[in-house]
Amino acid sequence: MRNVMKNIVQKSPWIYRINAGSCNGCDVEMATAALIPRYDVERLGCKYCGSPKHADIVLISGPVTEVVKDKVLRVFNEIPYPKVVVAVGICPISGGVFRDSYAARNTLDSLIQVDVNVPGCPPRPQAIIDGIAKALEIWKTML
Amino acid sequence: MSSFLKIILQNLIKGPSTEKYPFGDTFEPAGLRGKLRFNAEACIACGTCEHVCAGGAIRITEAEDCSGLNMVIWHNSCCYCGLCQFFCPTKAIRHTIDYHTAHKQEDKFNYAERGFIKTVPCSRCGKQIVPAAQELLEQAGNSSDEIKDLLSMCEKCRQKETVIRGALRNV
Repeated sequence: MRNVMKNIVQKSPWIYRINAGSCNGCDVEMATAALIPRYDVERLGCKYCGSPKHADIVLISGPVTEVVKDKVLRVFNEIPYPKVVVAVGICPISGGVFRDSYAARNTLDSLIQVDVNVPGCPPRPQAIIDGIAKALEIWKTML
Repeated sequence: MSSFLKIILQNLIKGPSTEKYPFGDTFEPAGLRGKLRFNAEACIACGTCEHVCAGGAIRITEAEDCSGLNMVIWHNSCCYCGLCQFFCPTKAIRHTIDYHTAHKQEDKFNYAERGFIKTVPCSRCGKQIVPAAQELLEQAGNSSDEIKDLLSMCEKCRQKETVIRGALRNV
């Protein structure tokens, strides 16, 4: 039974998106990757979901500002294991143009375990699809 | 009804508009600002790119054995604004159209473009200087032997030499 479930689950990871103080540039590209027929990330079996409790792959954008940090962690802790974290854009990875700001003192990997990085300001939808494809490989090994 | 059928037929002939990427090809617009590429031969280590970099992605540091300068461009902090490319006098730093930036966490701090700018000793006092690149000389126009001679010196020796030569000319 477990093996059957594993085979089924491998084909449909659900994506959850967290905006950690992002400027919306990366969020627009993430929406583009999913909603525009040209890119269509749902070919990989992925689907954007509305609840963190359904999520398998988490896309996080934004520099994790002090205001939103605790809320991000609270939502992140609601996501069940196994989960793969993809940092989208340069902000969560290194702080980007907001590095050394008093309002964004942490990078994402100092707070939670990040698996894949997709730098860019914003990254192209194709690069995000690349990142999701990499996350899928990691996720399959986690099951 | 007929117009509707026409659209269906058109779409059937046209095929799906979804690109095959990541299983197949995709397109790159010509002016795309992708990952930076650095040409150490053309660099004169003026530091303009480091100064204008919005994301603080560029670092120029002196090598430990003082034989040159290390240039590191960290892609994970580059915001692809193109300022370094715009201000670079010798076009040593350029954006490519390569946008494949996804990588795993363990490669995070190694995901950089590196270059080594060699320095040469000053022909008079032996102080290490960055040689003038060919690209810079081309921009300056015809470079006579006198200029080439002056270029092999450090800043202070060059000043001294220019003053002496000027004085000799006026005598």
